[in-house]
Amino acid sequence: MDFTLPESALAVQRGIGGICSRYDLGYWQRCEDDKRWPEEVWDELAKGGWLGLAVPEEHGGGGEGLLELAVATETLSASGAAGGSAFTYVLTPGFGALTIDRHGSARQRAELLPRLATGEVETCFALTEPDAGSNSLAITTSARRDGGDFVVNGQKIWITGVQRATWMLLVTRTVPAAEARPRSHGLTVLLVNVPEAVAAGRLSYRPIPKMGANTTPSNMVFIDDLRVPASKVIGEVDQGVAVLWDILNPERVLLAASALGTAEVALRVAVGYAKEREVFGRPIGANQAISFPLAQVKAKIELARLMIYKAAWCFDRRLPCGTEANIAKLTASQAAWEAADAAFQTHGGMAYSHEYPVARLLTDARIAKVAPVTEELLLNYLATQVLGLPRSF
Amino acid sequence: MNIVVCVKQVPDTATERKLRSDDNTLDRDAADGVVNELDEYAVEEALKLKEAHGGEVTVLTMGPGKATETIRKALAMGADKAVHLSDDALHGSDALSTSYAMAQALNKVGFDLVVLGSESTDARTGVLAAMLAERLGVAQLTLANKVDVDGTSITIQRITDYGYDRVEATLPAVVSVVEKINEPRYPSFKGIMAAKKKPVETLAIGDASIDPSQVGLAAAWSEVVDFAAAPPRAAGTIVKDEGDGGAKAAEFLASKKFI
Repeated sequence: MDFTLPESALAVQRGIGGICSRYDLGYWQRCEDDKRWPEEVWDELAKGGWLGLAVPEEHGGGGEGLLELAVATETLSASGAAGGSAFTYVLTPGFGALTIDRHGSARQRAELLPRLATGEVETCFALTEPDAGSNSLAITTSARRDGGDFVVNGQKIWITGVQRATWMLLVTRTVPAAEARPRSHGLTVLLVNVPEAVAAGRLSYRPIPKMGANTTPSNMVFIDDLRVPASKVIGEVDQGVAVLWDILNPERVLLAASALGTAEVALRVAVGYAKEREVFGRPIGANQAISFPLAQVKAKIELARLMIYKAAWCFDRRLPCGTEANIAKLTASQAAWEAADAAFQTHGGMAYSHEYPVARLLTDARIAKVAPVTEELLLNYLATQVLGLPRSF
Repeated sequence: MNIVVCVKQVPDTATERKLRSDDNTLDRDAADGVVNELDEYAVEEALKLKEAHGGEVTVLTMGPGKATETIRKALAMGADKAVHLSDDALHGSDALSTSYAMAQALNKVGFDLVVLGSESTDARTGVLAAMLAERLGVAQLTLANKVDVDGTSITIQRITDYGYDRVEATLPAVVSVVEKINEPRYPSFKGIMAAKKKPVETLAIGDASIDPSQVGLAAAWSEVVDFAAAPPRAAGTIVKDEGDGGAKAAEFLASKKFI
């Protein structure tokens, strides 16, 4: 057994860590306050080839996999971006490049991968609907075959990054849920050219005012008789569930990595404050009421990281990774929340001031407990799929 | 153009730096080693010159085994190969003997242009460029914030208190750069991965015809006689404003000869 990270992942830590070291917590707070994309960091990531880590070398990428993307997301998040802004990295290198590489046709791969690797083209992913969140098989956005095209109608919600995306990975029903046997049959993933669909008046979106993670807007999306050529199907018609799991498992791993980064930065901030802040003539970190919760968080961070790396390792070897990805997500979101909460308690009333980053970290940590999947659903998976307990639903 | 860029590993300025109690030299194990910041600008300038004029960039460093980390960083930025001058006999060399050893190594490696940072963040003598040029018998162009090469002629802007001087010379030459010259690039993913495979030649003093009696602590012309930790900052003077605050502040500044 070897716990040493491969050279490629160490290079990611050094390279992205080096870029991020020039952007402090204040930078990320300003991006959040101004609701703006972190252009400066993004440009550096694009220039250095960090967006194409998981794109094969023959298509201009780094030829690595989910492990390197997870380390990249963790590094970015832990540097101060935290989960809210680290999500910027998940959209294109994760949803786009990883999925097109594994399930795209030869033509889709040749056309898209080189441009995804450089960041010239960006992607977003649209699955959730107003009436289908946790129960994603119940989506109703329909794609009806009409000659060489599909005609798509429906609504999506919480679709992040539509504004910058050239391509949307849109999950549709080619067989309605009520008629699908098994229920996971009849899903089809389509590549939708967002600017063209918007220009044609067939797709519109509206940002949702939200609590945090404002560096990337999340949207309601409305689709009305949108024609998508059959050449834009990713994977097989009706067999989209295979594609879907290869999006959802990496998404769990990458958002676990971003939550892990949130935990790391929260712990760092808390420890720094606990060492400096003196009350009753000694640093507050000398009090075990302060130090023990932080020590607990440290242990949880290390556990979550092991699980994240293991899940990514399984995915890269095309081994089943559902259990690992779910445990990674569960442990990382818990670590993030406990870290942010402990950071809050450590800072006392000062945590409530926007002069400190704690409020932002708390917001970012809180969403990790429900996005992209709730902790309850993760526990359900472990209870029913792993332990074989009877289902409640 | 054959460009050699000299880089130095220095203790991280963000950490506490120490001297060794046995021989009063820098304790290199006490702090993380990083690339001397100004040398990153030198690497960037060397890479830019190569991109504009063709040729090859060789990294040259003198230092203990651990300095390979610094070499890899420069290679990751895009330099082609490296030469690591490393020998226990070099330990304790001062600026004068360092310039001798580096000049010997440069003569062995060969160069059209030598680029280096104008000083290091550890010793901060800022004399190496001038000493190297003298030892090598080539032009010295120091404190450059702009470098232009045209054929065999080289022109720099040398920063001064009043603006800049325009200095011209014929290659080969030694150029030292200041931080205003460029914005060093970050190593790319492919750069970092490729750096591991680039050739690094290690030279002992014998390989570079360095006379052991002219280097090391025993041969140093300067000596650290004693050292002490910087005293903690004393409490400041508090002036209470009782209508005469301005005058008191002026008196204080005058007593310190600021006004």
